[in-house]
Amino acid sequence: MAVLEVSDLRTSFRTDDGVVKAVDGVSFSVERGKTLGIVGESGCGKSVTCLSIMGLNNRQNTISSGEARFNGENLLEMSSRKLRTLRGNEIAMIFQDPMTSLNPVHTIGRQLVEAVMLHRDVTKRDARLRALELLKAVGIPRADRRIDDYPHQFSGGMRQRVMIAMALINEPDLLLADEPTTALDVTTQAQILSLMTSLQEEFETAIIMITHDLGVVAEIADDVVVMYAGKVAEEGTVDEIFTRPYHPYTWGLLGSLPRLDADLDRLVQIQGSPPSLLNPPRGCRFHPRCPYVMNVCRSVVPELLPVSHSPQHLQACHLDEETKDQEVQKLLEGTLAEAS
Amino acid sequence: MVLFLAVTVVTYVIFYVTPSDPARLAAGQGATPEDVQRVAERLHLDEPVWEQYGRFLWQLVGEQSLGESFVNRQDVNDIVLRAAPVTGALVFGGAIFWLTLSIPIGIISALRPRSLIDRAGMVFVLIGLSAHPVWIGLIFAYFIGYKLELTPITGYADFFNPSQEHGGPVQWAYHMILPWSTFAILFAALYVRLIRANVMETMNEDFVRTARAKGAPESQVIRSHVLRNSMLPIVTILGMDIALALGGAIFTESIYSLPGLGRQVLQSYENFDLPVIQGIVVFSTLCIIVFNLIVDLLYAVVDPRIRLT
Amino acid sequence: MSEDLLVVDDLAMHFPVTRGIVFQKQVASVKAVDGISFTVKQGETLGVVGESGCGKSTMARCLMRLLDPTSGRITFAGRDITHLTRTEMRPIRRELMMIFQDPYASLNQRKRVGFIVAEALQVHKIGTPAEVKRRVQELLDVVGLNPEHYNRFPHEFSGGQRQRIGVARALAVNPKLIVCDEPVSALDVSVQAQILNLLKDLQRDFGLTYVFIAHDLNVVRHISDRVLVMYLGKIAEIAERDLLYAQPKHPYTGALLSAVPIPNPELGRLRRAIVLEGDVPNPIDPPEGCRFHPRCPRFRPGHCDVEEPQLRAFGAGHGAACHYPLERWPMSGEEIRRADEEAVAAG
Repeated sequence: MAVLEVSDLRTSFRTDDGVVKAVDGVSFSVERGKTLGIVGESGCGKSVTCLSIMGLNNRQNTISSGEARFNGENLLEMSSRKLRTLRGNEIAMIFQDPMTSLNPVHTIGRQLVEAVMLHRDVTKRDARLRALELLKAVGIPRADRRIDDYPHQFSGGMRQRVMIAMALINEPDLLLADEPTTALDVTTQAQILSLMTSLQEEFETAIIMITHDLGVVAEIADDVVVMYAGKVAEEGTVDEIFTRPYHPYTWGLLGSLPRLDADLDRLVQIQGSPPSLLNPPRGCRFHPRCPYVMNVCRSVVPELLPVSHSPQHLQACHLDEETKDQEVQKLLEGTLAEAS
Repeated sequence: MVLFLAVTVVTYVIFYVTPSDPARLAAGQGATPEDVQRVAERLHLDEPVWEQYGRFLWQLVGEQSLGESFVNRQDVNDIVLRAAPVTGALVFGGAIFWLTLSIPIGIISALRPRSLIDRAGMVFVLIGLSAHPVWIGLIFAYFIGYKLELTPITGYADFFNPSQEHGGPVQWAYHMILPWSTFAILFAALYVRLIRANVMETMNEDFVRTARAKGAPESQVIRSHVLRNSMLPIVTILGMDIALALGGAIFTESIYSLPGLGRQVLQSYENFDLPVIQGIVVFSTLCIIVFNLIVDLLYAVVDPRIRLT
Repeated sequence: MSEDLLVVDDLAMHFPVTRGIVFQKQVASVKAVDGISFTVKQGETLGVVGESGCGKSTMARCLMRLLDPTSGRITFAGRDITHLTRTEMRPIRRELMMIFQDPYASLNQRKRVGFIVAEALQVHKIGTPAEVKRRVQELLDVVGLNPEHYNRFPHEFSGGQRQRIGVARALAVNPKLIVCDEPVSALDVSVQAQILNLLKDLQRDFGLTYVFIAHDLNVVRHISDRVLVMYLGKIAEIAERDLLYAQPKHPYTGALLSAVPIPNPELGRLRRAIVLEGDVPNPIDPPEGCRFHPRCPRFRPGHCDVEEPQLRAFGAGHGAACHYPLERWPMSGEEIRRADEEAVAAG
């Protein structure tokens, strides 16, 4: 049962240089108790997608359209007041940099209590007890003493745990996590990911995990959305995307990874760099960098269509399935053609 | 301590480098060379510089006295202490004035960038920064004081000791309104700009986004998260500005004939009245030192990150 | 037989922490690097891996003599460079270059690219202006940039391109050794691949030697011949690449390997990561005995917190500093603890 259903989400920013189409027609859904990984490189629109869902973009210069149905209601058309009752309550978000995401002049106890009191009609004392409960749940040692400490007295990993505590304190149905482990050491990342999965099991929270790290996606996601230049290139279950990817960009991404479990002499390079979203390329946005580009790609935007043998798996590419199967084979063998 | 010594030595040196003959001035017009000589002896001006300096320090430490004025033999302590409250009233009152003015304007401008209020605020800033306090003072004195007769033009009314026909708190404030406004405008302009920039910057911080993500209404976000953080730099700067201003709100005092330290310094300078100048320098230095200390302590109160180090 | 190009012997770099305003008294020291030794042969790549606070960046700066080591010895191409003065270091700097992490900050925004790449040549007074220009264009071509862009400014290039400029700059004087300090960490995955391929090609074409510092084990594995794992200023383990990844001996290496996410969902599900307790510690106050003991799943009280383990040999070139090295690999967290208990029970 879907907690969140996003259809044709579009978000543009008015800037001095023109209109930037950061998100241009993105659709996906997230189920209860499952994790959706949104993966892509910088500038692909993955963060903006989540900020749009939460309504956290700067109202003055943002235009959003489309649907984001949470428990039936469209978040994008909701009043700010209604949206605020959901934020931090039924939908929560954690961000990338734990150093700057907490207010440096308030104790973490106060910030946690604030999160509770905004949405629950309880006394400060009860809110504080609840905060303690969560701090223990996320593994902060000596929580009863640390609750009155300031953010700068915690390490990066601990701060991220505090953020998670703050996000989960009102038992949300949906948690949006924007690159929560990118700024952390790899062993700390392992701790945080392990924490998130165990909390998910306990509370049945749906998680949307944004990251650029395909390894992280493979570890914790059930479903994956691959984004490129504001659009969805491919989406499907994590097994499908990693064992039978059907988009040249995904091939490029997977092939360009140095990995522990394979011996590659040369990594696959995707030539060029991500496009400007002010003036995105016509037709398929990936075409200037695609080694399989055909004439149709330069003018016609490929639709997101299901793969024939697997209707949950969608991809937006003009290339025919036969060629794709062949290329996937090559990818798995490590002999994929280089893009350069 | 080092600062203190440095400042006083410098004052002495400067004084003695400038060509002057305080003895003659002190002796007055029509004094004979012998008179001048006598005065010079009396004021120890015939001794080598370092001896005079030594005497000054000894006097300061031993007798807590800043000496006597060359001009009228008054106790410098008295002169300074009489003038200080006036300057103090001007500066502190002015500070409250400019803060009350700049904080709301700064905040509102930041929250509603490019709105009418913001643009009006920026015009105000421009004027405040460009116009010289003297000019502003004169304009104010002319229009508000003279033409509209809303406030007295010059003079100072003692707060505590009502004397003559004017005195007491009401009169005091009444007399100070113009000076305060004049003094404050420059600083207010600076602060509006500073506050606006700080608040705007803080609004874009990650933790503000977190607060919104928690579902806090905008008013709470501003009150609880933005304001305190954006005000931190203001505290430091405020301390510095007040300390500097105490040294001599010279221009404003001149225009409005307020008998404060600034005006005193000007007069003493014209008369080469070293002890008085030195006295005022000593006093100002002391104030700056004290204020910096207060600011440091205040900062530790306001910003928990500083407290533990 | 390859020569030892770089020999590092018991290198230490301590930063004093002082108290007091007027009279500074040293109250502690940050032991960023605390006694490490290794060698790098001509033509090979030594990967240095570790998390924040392990000292790898400080070590890089010591190698480049951007810092004055507190103790120990650095021998480069047979010459002891540990305490050379700036003037003495000058001619050596031609052979020892560095590539930095941040492609945005490490290039002077106000200088043209041609100048940036040529600077080293000019400092060492190599070549006439015409020759210099030709060399720069040659270098830009070698790193995959358009030689015509000689006169552009850094901000006109993307992150990946800027990193290429950094590489060109390092190559300009034909160095023997290049220290790469996290050169791909700030880049997107697809661009990262370009730079890694480039570095490998250049090594082959020009016979370069690399000391490659990174926190990403995947990247290190791809490019290194031998790998050095650092923890809190000391060496945890050093080995040939394949050996380190297949048979790590130090529990920390094991934890790192199991923590690295692999882009393979099946493998990912089968793996049980060794999740370490606690945080990466602070080098100001390192733990007693083995520095890793507070977080180690094999910790034996009375031994690990008292005696510091020395680097033990496990075959050619494979060293690990641990009292209770891993017997086999892979092991999950529970297996490690169990194995330890068995060892205790056995006596």
